[in-house]
Amino acid sequence: MIRTIKYVPTAALAAVLLSGQAGAQTIKIGVNEPLTGAFAASGTYVVNGAKIAADEINAKGGVLGKKIELVIEDNKSNPTEAAAVAEKLINSDKTPVMMGAWGSSLTLAVMPKLMEYETPMVVETSSSGKITTSGNPYVFRISPPSAVEAVAFRNIVDKLALKKVDFLVINNDWGRGTAEDFGKMFKEKGITVGLVETMDQGAQDMSAQLAKIKGSDAETVIVTTAVDQLTLIFKQAAALGMKKRIITTGGSQNPDQIIAQAGAAANGTMHLTTFLPWFPEKTPNPEATSYFISEWKKRGFDFAGCTESFRGYDGIRTAAAAIEKAGKAEPAAIKAAMWDIKVKGLNGDIVFRKSGPEGKESGQSQPNVYLIEISDGKIGMKSL
Amino acid sequence: MRSGIAILAVAAFASVPLWLRDPYLMNALITTGIFIIAAMSLNLLLGFTGQLSLGHVAFFGIGAYVSALTSLGFDVPLPGDFHIVHDPWPPIAGFALAVVIAGLCGYLVGRLSFRVRGAYFVIVTISFAEVVRLVALNWVELTQGPLALNNIPSIALPLPGFGELVLRTKLQNYYLVLAVAVAAYALISRLVKSHFGRAMRGLMENEALAISVGIDVTRTLTLAAVISAAIAGAAGSLYAHYIRIIDPEVFAFINTVTMVIMVISGGKGSLAGPVVGGLIFGLMPVFLRPIMTPEAQWIAYGGVLILILFVLPRGIVPSLTQRLAKRRKGIGAIHPVAFSKSSAEEHAS
Amino acid sequence: MSEFLQHLVNMLVLGGTYALLGIGLTLIFGIMNVVNFTHGVLYTFGAYIMFIVVNQLGLNFFLALPVAVIAGWLLGAAVELILLRPLRGSDIDTTMLVMIGAWIAMQSGTLWIWGGVAKSVTTPFPDEPLVLGSVSVSWLRLFVLAAAALLIVATYLLVNRTKLGCAMRATFQDQDTASLMGVNVDLIYTSTFAIGSSLAAAAGALLGPVYVIFPQMGDLAAVKAFAIVILGGLGNITGAVIGGFILALAEELGAGYVSSGYRDAMGFLIIIAVLIFKPTGLFARSERVG
Repeated sequence: MIRTIKYVPTAALAAVLLSGQAGAQTIKIGVNEPLTGAFAASGTYVVNGAKIAADEINAKGGVLGKKIELVIEDNKSNPTEAAAVAEKLINSDKTPVMMGAWGSSLTLAVMPKLMEYETPMVVETSSSGKITTSGNPYVFRISPPSAVEAVAFRNIVDKLALKKVDFLVINNDWGRGTAEDFGKMFKEKGITVGLVETMDQGAQDMSAQLAKIKGSDAETVIVTTAVDQLTLIFKQAAALGMKKRIITTGGSQNPDQIIAQAGAAANGTMHLTTFLPWFPEKTPNPEATSYFISEWKKRGFDFAGCTESFRGYDGIRTAAAAIEKAGKAEPAAIKAAMWDIKVKGLNGDIVFRKSGPEGKESGQSQPNVYLIEISDGKIGMKSL
Repeated sequence: MRSGIAILAVAAFASVPLWLRDPYLMNALITTGIFIIAAMSLNLLLGFTGQLSLGHVAFFGIGAYVSALTSLGFDVPLPGDFHIVHDPWPPIAGFALAVVIAGLCGYLVGRLSFRVRGAYFVIVTISFAEVVRLVALNWVELTQGPLALNNIPSIALPLPGFGELVLRTKLQNYYLVLAVAVAAYALISRLVKSHFGRAMRGLMENEALAISVGIDVTRTLTLAAVISAAIAGAAGSLYAHYIRIIDPEVFAFINTVTMVIMVISGGKGSLAGPVVGGLIFGLMPVFLRPIMTPEAQWIAYGGVLILILFVLPRGIVPSLTQRLAKRRKGIGAIHPVAFSKSSAEEHAS
Repeated sequence: MSEFLQHLVNMLVLGGTYALLGIGLTLIFGIMNVVNFTHGVLYTFGAYIMFIVVNQLGLNFFLALPVAVIAGWLLGAAVELILLRPLRGSDIDTTMLVMIGAWIAMQSGTLWIWGGVAKSVTTPFPDEPLVLGSVSVSWLRLFVLAAAALLIVATYLLVNRTKLGCAMRATFQDQDTASLMGVNVDLIYTSTFAIGSSLAAAAGALLGPVYVIFPQMGDLAAVKAFAIVILGGLGNITGAVIGGFILALAEELGAGYVSSGYRDAMGFLIIIAVLIFKPTGLFARSERVG
């Protein structure tokens, strides 16, 4: 690379500044996740899942004969920091591929850096449609945007006999995108869409919105937000005596935590999830799922985190597969190889299809979704 | 003497890219520089007029959003099927507009806020910043809300006859920030040393006396607010075009606190104070990153702020200059800075 | 109509706790003229004390409340003694900035100790709400309202019917004369700050179980407290109580009928509006601006 020529005169200094590139005995994969700040809990789960993947791969001999090394950096749940971290991973640590950056706003912040330095990134959690439709060919996403979720949900919808639906969504692209994509799908099926209520990311009191929904004539409410607000919503809905059918979406539900914190208020609620750690035999790869869950438990992590950490696991395995396919640990080759890989993910096969404007498509994989129900403080597959 | 040091400092800063090659550190320096510009503008209000404005980040953020939106263009639907459509303009226009509109907001806030004083003023300024943040967060049609405005273009300098120079590399951005910082410093310096500057400080020292001498309180404070806000808006614009992504978190109260810590620790009421404070608190997170978690860092910053207020209430730069002055000129020397108690006491002895 | 009644019920419960927050701050702000940025931290502190006592130590929920109040009192007294007393007489800017430093340090400390994951407090109340016609209210919230009302009355009596309260009001009106009359001004200051802080802790202890507990929960609460104080007039307890209900009403109706996203902006808008048009507050008896 051209930059290395500039470094030659200051080789000694550079050797000190740059971290451990001695002979490149390991292949580095950058991990750009929120370990502090608002999303710290989720980011930590993802990173721990990633570590399980890295250890498993290294135990089997690594990639291209070398061990993989995760370079983990904290983006502090802040988009500016996420961009700075990407800079560091690409320029200082010289990682040829990254995984990150958890939330949609964080990933969007990193995307210009991917273009600038021509480095690919596996997006493991973000759900904004924008990520794969902005014409950034360095983005490869394994989590579903709400459009994909809506399509998957479509097949289940008939069996639930929905007539009129209200939305209660978090006030950002994730929530509003869900309302839009699911709303479109409902209309096609002849289901009426009623209220679309929103709440701020930090809001604690949704009683006003719930009071409105309580008074409406819809029989179902679709709720999209993260687990903390879901807990509050269920408690407040119960306190208001709102007895409608609740279905949550988005993949950040963490049902175990909801049961623990909302108690009886969670009974009867249904959730559209992208993983089934409670029923490994029902996942597309029961063996792999069982292995992951047993490893997770062995390391003493909170079981509730499985619903998010599996993405870290799958993300690293995807990156490693691309490196293997490329034959060398170089960004351009890895990016090209992404299109050719097929990984047996914990939630279905990971195969990237083209998404976005022609000529500069991003990669999007199509994971499965499942509908689970909480009853009597336990999680079960919704029998349809 | 002072300007000699200033020129040396500028030369030192200008030479940095020649020996510092790590892009990560350059990035940190550039963002620190932008925050220093904002801190200097806060110092104008805080240090020279004595008004504790804790909503300063609003002007910074407004400058950022205005500049970003101007150069990205937007299409905002209004009730009644109307749309406000704006086509993208060159980023330079965004910069200019950011300065103007931020300054305008400074005028509005100044006019409204200066009717109250002291603690009430503080609360109003905080509230203003929070309302702006909530608007940025919720008016998704315009600002994209939490999803942020991204793909903001870099600043391009039009060179007549040569076309355009797009400032994309770190090197170019570093010099741009340095240039704006030097310009802001020079502007504030001249302002403070002028007749207007004396009026500001007169107000700070003794408002009743200042009024009796004929100083128009509202006019002075408002003008200071406008200039302060305009400079903050310029910093915000630089931020938008360098980081190239802006989200409502730019309005977070913690950013105001960061600027306040920079100004107070460096020395409010001194020109170099914000620069020193800015360098310390802008670069500390970079060096502390491998050792301390961010929470622990913030505990430290809070502690440092309290410590400085107890031990060095005037800040680092004024305390240092005072000590240097004593050592160089000896006790009893006549020092034009008549505000310091100690030299007055020395006079009396 | 039933939706409106439901909003009204929500508003009553919220208003009671807001009033507690506001009273605590109006005492500190009114008597000591301290812009208390640590008020939100005390609120958070009270909530975490509930969590420790009920969830971690496994003790009785109803006993935990007095524990939280006392803990808040102690922390408030400590802050006053360590940070504020040495600065007595400095300009208001310095005091404010010290409070900001304390706020940052304490909140970051909370984050460091507890982490960012929200916590829930187990409550002894039944999950099924009390239903009156078309309106539902949870037993927990009724308890909160009752407890808040009790504390408000107790504070009112303390300030208006006891010797301590009399001394506080005297210091508020004229510090020098009070001091000449034999009032121990130092003690008054510490007591006032401690009482105000304990009320904030009480509000946190009551609302923590209603919502969830996390380190930054105090930030929004603090802003609302300031809004209430400004609305009600500095040092005016009755004003603070009414202000608390007005804010709750504005939030509840605003979120219900105007826009749910801007719910938390209500507090700020009120502050700005009041300070522009009626800076002394809606109910202030004495003219004091700044």
